[in-house]
Amino acid sequence: MQTFDTSTTTLPTLRRGSQLHETERRLNAVLNNASVAIFLMDDRQHCVYMNRAAELLTGFSLTEVLARDCPLHDIVHHTYPDGRPFPLEECAIDRAFPENNQERGEEVFVHKDGRFYPVGFTASPIRDDDAKIIGTIIEVRDITEEKAAAERQRLLTNELNHRVKNTLATVQSIAAQTFRGRTDDAARQMFDARMVALSNTHNVLTSQNWEAASLRSVVESALAPHALAEVDTARFDLVGPDTRLHPKVAVTLAMALHELMTNAAKYGALSVPEGRVGVHWTLERIAGGERLDLAWTETAGPTVVEPTRRGFGSRLIERQLPMEFDGSAVIAYPPGGVTCHIRIPLTALGWHGQDLVTGRATR
Amino acid sequence: MTASRMTDLEGRRVLLVEDESLIAMLGEDMLLDLGCEVAVAMRLEKAVAMARATAFDLAILDVNLGETVSYPVADVLFARCIPFIFATGYGAAGIDPAYGSVPVMQKPYQVDQMARMLRHLLVCEALPAKGESGRALPHTCTFGAKITEPHPIRAD
Repeated sequence: MQTFDTSTTTLPTLRRGSQLHETERRLNAVLNNASVAIFLMDDRQHCVYMNRAAELLTGFSLTEVLARDCPLHDIVHHTYPDGRPFPLEECAIDRAFPENNQERGEEVFVHKDGRFYPVGFTASPIRDDDAKIIGTIIEVRDITEEKAAAERQRLLTNELNHRVKNTLATVQSIAAQTFRGRTDDAARQMFDARMVALSNTHNVLTSQNWEAASLRSVVESALAPHALAEVDTARFDLVGPDTRLHPKVAVTLAMALHELMTNAAKYGALSVPEGRVGVHWTLERIAGGERLDLAWTETAGPTVVEPTRRGFGSRLIERQLPMEFDGSAVIAYPPGGVTCHIRIPLTALGWHGQDLVTGRATR
Repeated sequence: MTASRMTDLEGRRVLLVEDESLIAMLGEDMLLDLGCEVAVAMRLEKAVAMARATAFDLAILDVNLGETVSYPVADVLFARCIPFIFATGYGAAGIDPAYGSVPVMQKPYQVDQMARMLRHLLVCEALPAKGESGRALPHTCTFGAKITEPHPIRAD
C-alpha cells in the first residue's frame, strides 16, 4: 500500500488558536479518518480537495491531482474497462452537477497503476449563499468485495438450481429402479407426473432466485402439459392478477393444482373433449398483506359422482393446505362439475435468517 | 416390519410439528403406522397452543418452520415435562446450544429411526432440560452407542 505525505491532504491552514482553526482541525480529523473516499469538485469538475481514503483509493496524492490541473475524470476515470477512451461528456459523475443531493451510481475507475476497480459513488451539489451550485462533493467506495460476493451468490444459486433438479431426477430414477416390475404402471405414471409437477414449480422458483414465484407462472406451469408447453387455452380459462408467492406457497399450490388437474383428466371435465376448467382468482387486501381467493370450476364434463374415498389430492388440498397457510380449501362435487375454493393469506415474503443474508448482500 | 410390532408406542399421543405439507403427511402416516394417535401442527402459533392445551406423551418438532424455528414449542414442552425430539435435515450442529440436550432425528423421516427414538424417549430416566449450554448439562438421555443396548421398557 502506498503512503502519502498527509500534510498536503489538509484544508488551507488558518491561524493557530482561532475558532476557524479549531473547526478546520476537526474537519481534517473527520475527513482523513473517514474510510470512504471524499472528493470536492469545483465548477470545472476539477478536484480541489480529496481526503486520505481518496488518495489510497485512486493511487494519486492531492498534490499530484492539483498539479495536473484538469478534470478529475481525466485522472481516475479516463478509460472504459474494455480499453476505449472515456470522454468527460459521457461520465455520469462529472458530466454535470448533480440535480439532487445524494445521487448514486456505480462506475469503474482506473487506478494510478493502471488496474480497473469497481466503485459506488454518491454525488451531491455544493451551493453558495444564493443557493447557486458551485461545485460537487463526491463520496466513492471500492465495491470490489461486494461485486465478488454477488458473483459468488450467483454461482451458488446456479449450483443450488442444478442440485435441486438433479436430486429430483435422482429420486425419480431410484423410484423407477426400485419399483420396476413390482408395481403397476398406473402408480408409476402417477408418481412420475407428481415429480414433474414439483420439478416445474422449481423451475419457476429458480428463475426468480428462490425469493418468490409469480402466481401466474406457478398456475401456468402447474397446468401446462409439460415444462416447455403453454397452457391449452381451449381447455383452461385463467383469469386473475399476478403477485409474488412465497416459495412454500408456490410448491403446495402447484401440487394442489396438479392433483385437481389429474383428477379432472381421469374423471372430470378434462376426460371429455368439450370439458373446460376455469381458474379464477382475486387478491384482497388484508392486514399484513393480501389474501388469495382461487376458484377451480369444471364445466361441460361428465356428470360428477362424489367419490366414496378421498385420496392424496383431497388430503393435500383440504387438510394440509389450510393447516400450512392458515387458510381454507373446500372441494365440492356438484353434478355439473367439480369445484374447489382455496383461500390463502399471502403475508410476509421471507424466511428464517433472511435478514442475515440480505442485510449483507444488498444495500 | 419390526416397527409395527413395537406395541409400546401403541396409543401414544404424539404432537408432530412440521411445516411442509407433503412431509407432514409422510410423518403423520409413519406415526399412525406405529399405532400412535397423531396431532399435526404446521404453524408455530398453532403448535404452541396445542403443546399448551394437550397432554401429549411425545412430540416431534421440525426445527426449521420456514419463517421461524420451533424453539418456543420446545420451551412449552420442557415446562410441561413432555419428552420430544427435534427433526432436521441439517444435523445437530444447526441447533441452538441451549437445546443441545434434545435428541436429534435426521430428516428425511424413516420409520425405524423414528420408532427407535420415540421408544427411547419413553424409557429415558431423565428428561433433557434447557440450559445455557445444553451439551454441558448432566443428562442421561443421550443418544449414541447405548441406544443399541436393550433397555427396560417402562411398564405403564
